[in-house]
Amino acid sequence: MIAAALPGASVEVVDETGGGDHLRAIVEAPQFDGVKTIDQHRMIRAAVKPRMDDGAIHALSITTRVAAR
Amino acid sequence: MAANPELREQLEQAIAANKVLLLMKGTPEMPRCGFSMRSVGVLEQLGVEYGAIDVLPAMGPLREVTGEISDWQTFPQLYVDGELLGGCDIIEEMHASGELAETLGVSQPEGEPQTQADSSDSRAPTQSPPLQIET
Repeated sequence: MIAAALPGASVEVVDETGGGDHLRAIVEAPQFDGVKTIDQHRMIRAAVKPRMDDGAIHALSITTRVAAR
Repeated sequence: MAANPELREQLEQAIAANKVLLLMKGTPEMPRCGFSMRSVGVLEQLGVEYGAIDVLPAMGPLREVTGEISDWQTFPQLYVDGELLGGCDIIEEMHASGELAETLGVSQPEGEPQTQADSSDSRAPTQSPPLQIET
């Protein structure tokens, strides 16, 4: 879902507890260039919002990096 | 459903009145969530003056308010100069890079940034009294 929202991004998702619902997303995307950290996180949250809303993801930690274009 | 307009106004006033404002679960003295505790730890390491609001008494309504004003619904939330800077992840990331100290106009503490507050460090944080929002 994240990769679909941010074409060209490299996305790694880590299951932090083994339960499948506490996840960490590490996202490196060219779209982040010049974007404030909080807005980078908003972009990712917006991409996974349906899974947050339906409860499939309980907690999502986010780490972002700017990828070279 | 639209957020409670009175609560929204109260929160907007609190954000305007505090240069640095942390919306957290629990209080700085007694955080009720690990992420809130870590955020308090960062602010205390930086020795910055901040206001704190315990969101637990009205978490649902406050979530709706922050969704409207900041497009952000999880706590903690750190507001600086009227704008949401981020939650715990962003606070710690910006602390590690020194960007947070720069944003807050304080000097980065010596040594490696730590993610946990060291309570044996006796320098008392300057801190405005916790604010309460009644609903």
